[in-house]
Amino acid sequence: MQSWRRKSLWLALSASWLLLSFLGIFPLLRLAVPPRSRPGVPQGWPRWLDADLLQSFSQPGELLEDAPQPPQAPHGGSCNWGACFDTSKCRGDGLKVFVYPEAGPISETHRRILASLEGSRYHTFSPAEACLLLLLIPDTSTSECSSVPLQWNRGRNHLVLGLHPATCLRTFQLGQAMVAEASPTVDIFRPGFDVALPLLPKAHPLRGGASGQLRQHSPDPGVALLALAEERGGWRTAGTNSSACPWDGRCEQDPGPEQTHSRETLPNATFCLIPGHLPDASHFLQALQAGCIPVLLSPRWELPFSEVIDWTKAAIVADERLRLQVLAALQEMPPARVLALRQQTQFLWDAYFSSVEKVIHTTLEIIQDRVSGASARPSLLWNSPPGALLALPTFSRSLHDFPFYHLQQGSCPEGRFSALIWVGAPGQPPLKLIQAVAGSQHCAQILVLWSSERPLPSTWPETAVPLAVIEGHRKVSDRFFPYSTIGTDAVLSLDAQSSLSTSEVDFAFVVWQSFPERMVGFLTWSHFWDKARGSWGYTAERANEFSMVLTTAAFYHRYYHTLFTHALPKALRTLADEAPTCVDVLMNFLVAAVTKLPPIKVPYGKQHQEAAPLPPEVPGRGPELQPATQDCINQLAAGFGHMPLVSSRLRLDPVLFKDPVSVQRKKYRSLEKP
Amino acid sequence: MFTLPEKESRAPTTCPGSASIQDLGSSYGDGLEEECSRKPDQKLLELYGVGDPIAMFFSDSSYLSSRGRIIKWFWDSAEEGYRTYHMDEYDEDKNPCECEEEAVGVIMCASVKYNIRGPALIPRMKTKHRIYYITLFSVVLLGLIATGMFQFWPHSIESSNDWNVEKHSIRDVPVVRLPADSPIPERGDLSCRMHTCFDVYRCGFNPKNKIKVYIYSLKKYVDDFGVPVSNTISREYNELLTAISDSDYYTDDINRACLFVPSIDVLNQNTLHIKETAQALAQLSRWDRGTNHLLFNMLPGGPPDYNTALDVPRDRALLAGGGFSTWTYRQGYDVSIPVYSPLSAEVDLPEKGPGSRRYFLLSSQMALHPEYREDLEALQAKHGESVLVLDKCTNLSEGVLSVRKRCHKHQVFDYPQVLQEATFCVVLRGARLGQAALSDVLQAGCVPVIIADSYILPFSEVLDWKRASVVVPEEKMSDAYSILQSIPQRQIEEMQRQAQWFWEAYFQSIKAIALATLQIINDRIYPYAAISYEEWNDPPAVKWGSVSNPLFLPLIPPQSQGFTAIVLTYDRVESLFRVITEVSKVPSLSKLLVVWNNQNKNPPEDSLWPKIRVPLKVVRTAENKLSNRFFPYDEIETEAVLAIDDDIIMLTSDELQFGYEVWREFPDRLVGYPGRLHLWDHEMSKWKYESEWTNEVSMVLTGAAFYHKYFNYLYTYKMPGDIKNWVDAHMNCEDIAMNFLVANITGKAVIKVTPRKKFKCPECTAIDGLSLDQTHMVERSECINKFASVFGTMPLKVVEHRADPVLYKDDFPEKLKSFPNIGSL
Repeated sequence: MQSWRRKSLWLALSASWLLLSFLGIFPLLRLAVPPRSRPGVPQGWPRWLDADLLQSFSQPGELLEDAPQPPQAPHGGSCNWGACFDTSKCRGDGLKVFVYPEAGPISETHRRILASLEGSRYHTFSPAEACLLLLLIPDTSTSECSSVPLQWNRGRNHLVLGLHPATCLRTFQLGQAMVAEASPTVDIFRPGFDVALPLLPKAHPLRGGASGQLRQHSPDPGVALLALAEERGGWRTAGTNSSACPWDGRCEQDPGPEQTHSRETLPNATFCLIPGHLPDASHFLQALQAGCIPVLLSPRWELPFSEVIDWTKAAIVADERLRLQVLAALQEMPPARVLALRQQTQFLWDAYFSSVEKVIHTTLEIIQDRVSGASARPSLLWNSPPGALLALPTFSRSLHDFPFYHLQQGSCPEGRFSALIWVGAPGQPPLKLIQAVAGSQHCAQILVLWSSERPLPSTWPETAVPLAVIEGHRKVSDRFFPYSTIGTDAVLSLDAQSSLSTSEVDFAFVVWQSFPERMVGFLTWSHFWDKARGSWGYTAERANEFSMVLTTAAFYHRYYHTLFTHALPKALRTLADEAPTCVDVLMNFLVAAVTKLPPIKVPYGKQHQEAAPLPPEVPGRGPELQPATQDCINQLAAGFGHMPLVSSRLRLDPVLFKDPVSVQRKKYRSLEKP
Repeated sequence: MFTLPEKESRAPTTCPGSASIQDLGSSYGDGLEEECSRKPDQKLLELYGVGDPIAMFFSDSSYLSSRGRIIKWFWDSAEEGYRTYHMDEYDEDKNPCECEEEAVGVIMCASVKYNIRGPALIPRMKTKHRIYYITLFSVVLLGLIATGMFQFWPHSIESSNDWNVEKHSIRDVPVVRLPADSPIPERGDLSCRMHTCFDVYRCGFNPKNKIKVYIYSLKKYVDDFGVPVSNTISREYNELLTAISDSDYYTDDINRACLFVPSIDVLNQNTLHIKETAQALAQLSRWDRGTNHLLFNMLPGGPPDYNTALDVPRDRALLAGGGFSTWTYRQGYDVSIPVYSPLSAEVDLPEKGPGSRRYFLLSSQMALHPEYREDLEALQAKHGESVLVLDKCTNLSEGVLSVRKRCHKHQVFDYPQVLQEATFCVVLRGARLGQAALSDVLQAGCVPVIIADSYILPFSEVLDWKRASVVVPEEKMSDAYSILQSIPQRQIEEMQRQAQWFWEAYFQSIKAIALATLQIINDRIYPYAAISYEEWNDPPAVKWGSVSNPLFLPLIPPQSQGFTAIVLTYDRVESLFRVITEVSKVPSLSKLLVVWNNQNKNPPEDSLWPKIRVPLKVVRTAENKLSNRFFPYDEIETEAVLAIDDDIIMLTSDELQFGYEVWREFPDRLVGYPGRLHLWDHEMSKWKYESEWTNEVSMVLTGAAFYHKYFNYLYTYKMPGDIKNWVDAHMNCEDIAMNFLVANITGKAVIKVTPRKKFKCPECTAIDGLSLDQTHMVERSECINKFASVFGTMPLKVVEHRADPVLYKDDFPEKLKSFPNIGSL
C-alpha cells in the first residue's frame, strides 16, 4: 500500500511536472528570452508571407501604353542645350567660331586674347558660317556692357564669355545665349549649357604660363598637412597635430606650427582648405598650381569646367558642416589617394588652367564636344594626361589609336610600322634605304613622299612589303601631314639621304613599342640657354645630353601627324616651311609639349656617320648653327609660351650591347660593327 | 662557347612588354658570370628568426591594380571563410547552453539539480523502487529532450534571415486613419541642395563612411471614409525595401539614422491619392519638413500634362525619380533612377556578344506619338531593310500576351528578343521622359538612341552615358540614321558592351537600383571615400585589364634632391664598410641608411664606421627578415631609394650616379644593375628563372637598384596574398617580389642600367659548385611560379633594351664624357 501510494504520488508528481514544463516553461522562456529578436541583430524589413502575391507597381500595359502627348515646349526663361542651341550650322570639320571684333577702347589683354583667337584653328571671319558666335565681355567691371551686337538673333548660338567677374552680365539681355563666366554661383549656373570658368588672377599669362609647382610625386615628409585660405588672400599653414583649430581661428594656444603667408606665395602643404564663399574661389587655382590638394567646403560656386573635368580625382568637395570628420578623413587618407590627387592637380593645371589661351580653348572644346554628341571625347581623354586640348577627337574615337592610353586600356601598340621616306630636292630614289627598311620584320609598308621637282621614277625596287608613292606639295611641313595611307600606329620618318641598317630599324622599333608616346631617334640635337645672347640656342655637337632627335630618322606615333597639322597654330607651321631645319625643332617641341618627357636615343652605327653624312643643307653638322636658324628655336619658344624641351642623359642600347660575350649570342649584332 | 640557335621570334602581335615565351634550349651556355648566390653559411645564420613583429595585415588593398585586387579579394574571402569556420568551433566550445537547445539545457540543469537532491530521498526507498524511479525519470527526461528537440529543431534548418524576421501577412499591417485636415507638406523646394536642405549632422557619427538608413514600418493609410489612399505596397517597393534592409546601410535605430525611407509606396503616381499620400508623409515620426527623407518614384506625373517629377508635395525630401527633366531635377540633390522593367526578371535573354546585327536601327515602343512614328517610318522608307519600326499587334489571337509581341505589317516578333537583332534601338519619350524600354534595350546589348529632349538619364551623376548611348535631339530625328552611321564599328562594339554592363550593374534588379541610389547619396556625404568614375563605369573586363600607374604624372624630379642608400647587412662588416665608402663617393647621395639585421650582434661602435660626407644612420631590426630592406623608414626623406647589398663592392661612383640620373627619367620604374629574365618552360609548363646572358630583361635585382620610396610602402603594407610572409619564411626572392609588385601596379618594365659586369666578389669563381647554383635557380623559379599564381597573372614585362650614357663606347674623348667609368670589370 505504502509503495502503491508512493508510486502514485511519484507518478502524479512527475506527470504534473511534465505538464508544467510543457505548459509553463516554454511560454515563460519565450517571455524571458524572446527567441526571435536576439540582441545585436537589427530587425530588418519583414519578409511578408504574402510577398509573392503583391502586385507590380505598374501593370504590363501601363508602361507601354502611355497616352501620347505632343512634345513639351521648353519653359520660358531657362535654356538647355537641346532647346537653345542650333547645331545644324556646325557640320563639317571642327567648331567654327566667329569672334565679335572689339568695339570701342579695350584693354591690352583683351586685344591679345582676340588676336590669339584669330590665330587659332577655330576662327572664322564670317558670322554666317560660324557655329558659335563669341562675345567677349571686357574685363572692366565698371563700364557698361557693350550693346547687343548685330547678329545677335536673340542670343542663339552665342557664347558670352567673361574671364573676370563682370557686373554687367547680370543686367545683360541674355536671351538664348550661353554664359561662360568665372566661378558662377550654383544657383544661376545651368549645367550642360553654361560653362564655368576658373577665377583667373588679373595678371594671368596669355600663353604657355608657369608650369605646376610640383617637383616630386609624393609629399615632402616635412611639409604641413593643411593650409587654410585666409580671407585677406594669403594662406595659413597648420601642422598635423592641431585638430579643430584651423577652422575657427582659436589657435592661440598652439601657435607653433602655424605660419601666415602673404598673398602672393603659394601654399606649401598637402591639403588646402578653401571655404565655400565666392571670394575664396581665387584660392582654388593657387592651390592647384602649387600641387596642394584643394579641399572645398560646400562651395557655392561651380567648379571650373565641371562638365568635363572629374574633380573628384583632384580635389575634395566636402560638407562644411562635417568639419571634424573631414579633418579626420584627411589625416587618415591613404598615401595612394594623396599621391593620385596631388598628381592630378598638376596635370589639370598644366592642361587647362595655366594660361588664358588654354582656358578659352578648353571652353571652345567643351562646346565642340557638345556639338559632336556621340563622337565627343570620352571622359578619360579629359581626365588623364596629356588632356583634351592635346587629344583631338577628330583623330579617332577609339582610345587604342592614341599613343597615351595603352596602359589604362590594357592594350599595346601595334607590332608593325610604316616607313615614310621624304625625297627632297635632289630627287634620287633612296634604293639602298628602301631595301634596308623593307628588310625589317616589323615593316608593314613603305611610303615615299616625293617632294622633288624631278619627275617620278617609273620603276621602284621590288620589296617584300607594299610600296606607295605620295606626291607632296614641296613644303617641308608636308612630311607631317596625316596621310590616310599610313596604316599603322608607328611611323618611321626618313629622309632620302638617311642611312640605316635593318638591325637598327628593328631595335629602334622594339624600343618604340615600349614608349609609344615618345620619339625614338638616332641622331640628336640639344638645346641650351645662351646667357650671352639671353636667348635659346641649339647645337648638333655630340654631348653628354640631348633634347631633340632628328626626324630624318625617327620613330613616332602617327597621331603626331594629326596634331602637327591640325593643332599647331598656323604661324608656327609657316615658320617651319620657311626655315626647313626648323621643322625638326618644331616636331620635337610638339612632342615634348605633349609628353613633357625627353625623346629617346638609340645607337646609331658609326659606319653611317662616316659613309653618309647627313645632307649638307641640313645645318647642325657644323659646331654652331647659324644665328638665323637659331632664331627658329626662340620664335617657337615664344609661340609655345615656354620651352617644352626636356634633356635626357641616356641612350637605350640592346641588353648585350658591346658586352664581352660571343657576338653569336647577340640579337642585334650588326649594331656593333666597327 | 658554342653557337646558339636563333631564338624563335615572337609573333608580331605580342606586346614588347608581354611575357616572354622562349625556347629553353638556348639558355644553357657559357657561364660567363655565375650568379653569386647567398653563401651557405650566411643562409644558415639567416634561417633563424622566422616571424614578423612589424608585419601588419592590411585587408584593404586598393593600391594593387585591379587584377591584384581581385586576387586579393579571393584571398580575403578565403580567409574570412576560415575565420568564420573557427568562430563556429569556438562558439560550440564555449557556451553550449546558449545554442539552439537553450531550453533543453535549462531543463537538463534542473533535472540534474533534482538528481543531486536525490540521494537524500533515495536511500529510504527500496532498491527495486529506486531502479523504477530512475527508469521513470530517465524516460521523462528523454521525452522532454525529444520534445525540446522537436520544438526547436526545424527552426535551425531555416535560413538565419528568416530566423530574425517575423512572418506576417501584409493584410495584418496596422491601419492609420488620416483626418482630412491633417497637415500637407510644402511643395518640393526647387532650390534645395545638399548643403541647404540636407541635415548632414545626422550622418556625422556613422562609422566606416557609410550612411545609415532607417525604414519606417509598414502601415496602411486610409482617409476619413476608410478608403485606402494607395496600394499598401507594390512588389517592387517591397523588394526595394528588402534590399535596403539587407544592405550595410540599414539600421533599425531611428536615432542613429542619417537617411529615412518611408514605407509609403510612391513608385507609381497613378496608384495613389496625391493629397492623402502627402498627409501620410507629413505625419511620419521624423518627417521634419522631409529633411533626410528619400522617396523612390519611377512613374511621375499623370494626365494630361505629365509632370516630370512626383506631384506629391514633399517639401525637402530627396527624390529618386525616373523621368526627371532638366527643369525638375535638382542637380546634386535628387537622384535620377531608371524605370524598372518587370521584363528583366521574367525574360532570360541568351547571351549575345557585341558585333553587327541584322537591323541597324530598331524601334520597338508601342505607344508613340503619331508625329514620331511618322518620322520613324520615313526613316524606314528611306533606308529599307536596315531600319525596323515595330508596333502593337492588332491581329493576335486571344490569350497571347500582347506585351511580349511586336508586329511590323503582318510579321510578328517576340519582344524583347527582337532587340537582340538590332545594333541601335530607339528609346523615344512617351508622355513621360523615362521609359522602361531603356532597360530592355540595354539588356539586349542594343545601343540606346535616346530621343527625349531635356531628359536626365538614369544615374547621370555618376554614369557616363556617352559611352553607352547616343542622344539625338528630337528635332534631329530625321538625321538619326546618318548620325549613327558616322560612328565607327569599333566604337559601336564598345558601346554595346558598355550598355550590357550598365544593365547588369545598375538596371537588372530593383536591388541594383536601390543600392546604386544609396551609393550616390553616400558618396555625396563622404566625398573623400567616394567611388571613382572608373569603378562606376568600367566593365569588369576593362577593370581587370587596365593598369593605373600610381606615379602617372610625367615628371623628372630635381637632381638636387638626391637619393637615400639603404644597405641591408647581417654581419659582414668589412664588406659593408667598403660598400659605404664606395657609395659615399656618389655626388647625389644625400643619406645612407644601414639596416642592421643581426639581433645577436651589435653594430660596430660609432668610431669604427667610415667617415663620410652625408648622414649615416643605423637601423637595428627586431628580427632578421629580408623584408626589412623594404620597410618605409621615416629616415628616408628623398623620393629615390637605392637598395644595395653589403657585398656589392664593384659598382663605381659613375655607375651609381648614372643610375640615379636614369631613375630621374623613369621615376616610376625599378632601375637596377644586374638584370634577370623569366621564361616559360614549355616542357614543365611553368615559369623559369634565368640569369644567363640573354638579349632580354624582365627583372632587376634589388641588390643594387633605384626605385621610388612609395614602393617601400606598397611592399610593406599592400603586398598581395601571403607573398611577404612567404619571402620572410624562405629568406629568398624579396627582389623578385618587388619586381612583381612594381610591374603589376605600373604596368611597365624595369630599366637595366649599364653593361653586364661582376658586382661582387671579384675572386668569386665557379668553385661554389654547380649543385648550389642549381638549387638556387630552382628556388628562384619556384618563387616566380608562386608569385605569378598569387598575382593571378604574370605582370613582368620583357624588354630588349638597357640604359647607357649617351656617349657610352662612342668614339669620343673619355675625359669629356660625363660618366666615363662605366662597365669596367
